[in-house]
Order: sequence, then structure tokens, then C-alpha cells
Amino acid sequence: MIRVQQLIAKRGNFTLGPIDLDLGNSSYLTILGPSGSGKTLFLETCMGLVAPSDGQVWLDGQEVTKIAPERRHISYLPQDLALFPHLNVRENILFGARRRQLDMTRVESRLTSLLDLLALHSVIDRNDVATLSGGEKQRVALARALLPEPRLLFLDEPFSALDATIKRQLQVKLREINQQLGVTILHVTHDQEEAFMLGEQIAVVISGQLRQVGARDDIYYRPATLDVARFLRNQNIFDLTVQDVLPDGSLQLGDDLNLYAPGHAGAQRGQKLATGIRSEEVIVIRPNKPIGPELEDNLFHATVDDILVFGGTHTLCVKLHNSDVTVDVELPNCAMRDLGYSVGDTLRVCLRKRSLWTIPLDGSALSREDQNDQLR
Amino acid sequence: MKQWDAAFKFAVLLPLAVLTGYFLLLVGSQSAFFSFFGFIEQLSRADIRSAIALSLIAATVSSAVAVGIAIPSAYALARIDFPGKRLIDTFIDLPMVLTPIALGTLILMSWNTAIGRMLAGFGLTIPFTLAGVILAQFTVVVAISVRMLKATFEQINPRQEQVARLLGCSAFGSFIHVTLPLARRGILAAIILTWARAVGEFGATVMVAGTARGQTATLPSSIYLAMSMADLPQAVTLVVILIGIALLVLFGVRMVLEPQT
Repeated sequence: MIRVQQLIAKRGNFTLGPIDLDLGNSSYLTILGPSGSGKTLFLETCMGLVAPSDGQVWLDGQEVTKIAPERRHISYLPQDLALFPHLNVRENILFGARRRQLDMTRVESRLTSLLDLLALHSVIDRNDVATLSGGEKQRVALARALLPEPRLLFLDEPFSALDATIKRQLQVKLREINQQLGVTILHVTHDQEEAFMLGEQIAVVISGQLRQVGARDDIYYRPATLDVARFLRNQNIFDLTVQDVLPDGSLQLGDDLNLYAPGHAGAQRGQKLATGIRSEEVIVIRPNKPIGPELEDNLFHATVDDILVFGGTHTLCVKLHNSDVTVDVELPNCAMRDLGYSVGDTLRVCLRKRSLWTIPLDGSALSREDQNDQLR
Repeated sequence: MKQWDAAFKFAVLLPLAVLTGYFLLLVGSQSAFFSFFGFIEQLSRADIRSAIALSLIAATVSSAVAVGIAIPSAYALARIDFPGKRLIDTFIDLPMVLTPIALGTLILMSWNTAIGRMLAGFGLTIPFTLAGVILAQFTVVVAISVRMLKATFEQINPRQEQVARLLGCSAFGSFIHVTLPLARRGILAAIILTWARAVGEFGATVMVAGTARGQTATLPSSIYLAMSMADLPQAVTLVVILIGIALLVLFGVRMVLEPQT
């Protein structure tokens, strides 16, 4: 559906790319990255609003790099929605269909189904778009974008100004739209929850570079670079050295901490690695509770150093015995109530080998194969 | 604290009161020389009616041409990046800071160049003609028009134009269907103010077109002529007409720019 090759774009001193990306029909890709990472510039370049310095954009097998935006059949929903205040709600929604001179019989029928899908019947006859609520404006802008049957729908932080309840409703609606209408969606966001909830595939863009593209679990559990790991709020990251490569390919790591971790191609003794585990993947075990053999590796005695409360979850900061390492453990409130830990309590933590990721510290990223191996 | 607040309020209201009083004095002082029958009598004079008609026609043409050129120019300055943009943007402001007399001199001198002589060869004569009045007014008001319209276009969210492009509009289509309708209030205000400034233009017009009664004398130059001949009733009549036009314009601008409640 959309393919970009070695795409480079510049705005002032900022350079985006080179970026390579390939997205199939009816997919939902979220482009995730911190503010100022170049996500919007990437969309603008793909849409033809910004001319790339280099590289190519392909749509449905046709190169469109130099084709005007209006001939690319991409619809766009920007962060501020950009509804047209001089037009009423119906005129706003019909704007694209009229400009493209589409068959109005077909347009009317699609309009009716979009009004059903987006629950817009009650506002379609409003004269002033300024009188719409935030959620209604969002749905009107979405209907306007979808009515001309675009090949692709580009969304740029569309829910950033909405409250949590309306945001969730519209996120669910977007998934429905992707599945029911089969429209391919590229959705830019800095909100990690939103990116993982909506994206079948996620692309992480940091400092103008596409750091990693993959399925949700790939990105979430196997970050390819340290900045991706940090951006995705991996709290437990340790710099260690490979002590041994075991016969099954896994690694014995040491320095501040002795750990067994999944291996990767090219791993060798003495190699410096970053390894990490998500805080919700750390298992806590009471001191005297019997455990199975699967938890015996990477098992540490620890003391609760601090407890942080985040709405629905608690984070235990536990200090491992005989080391300076502190590990964050995230527990849902219900688990925390059952376990009843408080500061100073002793416990055991298990950093399960299969939950650990590793990244070579020589600047190289893990290959897709290595990430898949680690996931398995 | 309350005393300080009251003192501050007084400190800002006092200059406003003085200014209002001064303007009332300026307008009110005309009443000593103004009589309704005298006003009607003056209006029946051919040279006065000619000055009014000439002012209105010339201002309408010059402001229409100025706004017509200012709309694309201001849009280009607001939206398009090109080499030398800052220089051109500054250069276009020149007529706003230059005294109109100097501007008139520039126009006359430019007519003495090869281009001027070529245009004169085609029958387009500027000195001491109606075309000269229009050109002088245009030169003075076009910069004001560009400045106002540039501010208007800069206030429009460029995302709206981008969304229009992606919904099927060409660059021109997006300008026509989105930018111009969104800029309509600013454009109307620019038209009104440009026209008003053109009606009141004096210095450049006198330099370029002179003050020939019934031919190139506009309202302001007729006031000058009347005062130089100590014809106070005629001068006051013309001033009252200009005040009337000015009040209508200010009212019109307010109606256009202030949101209706």
C-alpha cells in the first residue's frame, strides 16, 4: 500500500531519516515517538506537503514522490482537526467529495453509513462547527476524512486534546473503522498506551530516525536500541558483560549482577551488553515460599526500599542483597493488597530469562531474527 | 491595594479623556463656521461636486487595484518562503514611512525614465491627469493593504489549507475555497481602510496631479485650495464631508471586524 525508501526530509536544522518503511493494505501502523522526533514531518513528507530532500514514496506500486498532495488520495486528520469554520457541519463533511466531484448518489449512501458509524446524525444539520463538543468535532473531522474513500488515512495526534473517556470511545471507533472500512491507517502519537492499543504494527521514531518497526510484542518486550528501551519506560536496564555463551545459545552475564539472558547472533565472551526487563515482568516471591525449577535462574533476595503509587498500580523499588542494584517491580493494586508489602520487607525477585532483552552496547541494533528468537 | 488600583485606573483614563476632548474640540470648532444652508449651497457648486466625484472615483479605482495586487502579494509573503523575502517585505513598507510628498516626487521622476516615456507613447499620461491621481493614491495605499492582508493570512491556520489540499483541492482551489472565505473579514476591513486612506490622500496627489479645479482637484486638495484663498465656508463644507466619510468608514470597519452578538 505505502512504501517509503531512503526518505530524507529537512526542516530548518532538523533532518528526518533516511527512513525505509513498507505497509500493507488495511494495516494499522502507529508511529510512536517523543515530541519533536519528526513524526509529523514524516507524515507531511508522505502526503506531499513537504518535498523530501531525497528518497521515494510509493503508493499502491506507483511512485508518488513528485505528485501533488491532492492526487495521492490520502486523507489527513491533524492534531487541531482544522475544521473549516466558514462551512456548516454537512458542508465540512462533504468538502472532499465535492472537490473531487464524486458521484453524489454513492456519496450520499456512504455519508449515511458514516453518520451511523460515527453517531453523527444529531449534529449533521448544525450550522456552526464551533458549537460542537470536542468529541463531536473529532468525529466530524473523521467523517470528512473518510467520505472521499481515501487510500490511506493519516492521523496526527488526533486525540491529544480529549478527555480520557471520549478518547477511549474514539480509539475503539477507529479500530472499527480500520476493520469495517478496510482503510489503511498511519497514526502518529506520543501516547504509548494509544500506540499499543491501536497499532497492529508500531514504528518508533526518535531524533528523526526510525529506530524500530514491528508487531506490538516485538516493540514492547524486545526493544532494538537503548533509546527505544528508555522511551518505552523500561525502568530496569543493566550494563553487563558476557561471561559465557552457553551451549543452548543463552548468555551468562556478569558485573554488578549475574544473570542468564537470551542470546543473539555474534554474542561472545567479554562483549558489553545492556539487558533489561519490564517492571511488570518481574516476579516477586515471599522468602519462604517454595518455587518451581523455572524460577530458580536469576532469583535474588531483596529488600523493599520504596513504594510508589500510580493510580491502579504500585511500583516496589527493591534493592538486591549483596549488590547496589535496585529493581522496579510493578504490581496491580489488587496484588499489592494481597501481598501487603511495606518498606523494609524482605522478599525474592525473579528476573525470568525469557522476559529479559539484551542489546549490544557497541551501537549495533539487534536484527529482527534475533528479536524473534528472544521472544520465543 | 485598592487605592493603588484606583490610582492606576485614573492614570490611564485621564490621557484617554484628554484625547477625546481634543478630538471633540477639533470637530466641534467647525460648527462656528458651519451652517446647513451654506453647506447645501456649497454642494451645488460644480467644482465642489467635481472634487467629491473625483475623490470617490479615484479612491474606488486605486483601492480596488491596490487590494487586487495586495491579496496575492500578502499571501505570498505570509505563506511562501523564497530568497530575499525579508528584504522585499521591508521594501514594500517604504510608502508607509516615506512622506507622501516624497512619494509623489518619486512617481513624477519615474515618469521621466524610458519606461515612463514608453507608457506616455501609448497615451498613458500621469502628470496632471486623473490617471495621475489614481497612481498617486495607489502608491500610498498599497503598502497599507499588503500589511493588513498579510496579518490576516498569517492568522489563518495553514493546516486548514493542507487538509483542503488532501481533500482534493489544488493550491489555487484551496486558496479559493478555504483561504479567501476565512480571510473575508480581513479583506473587507482592508478594502474599507484602503479606500478611506485613498479618499484622504493629499501630498502625493498634489505633487503628481496638481490641483486643477474640476480636473484633478480632490476633496483634500480642494480644502487646501479653499484655505489658501481664505474661503472658510467651502473649506468647512469639504471638511464636514470628509468627517462624514471617516465616521462611516470607522463604523463600517467595526461592523466587519467585531463579532456579531
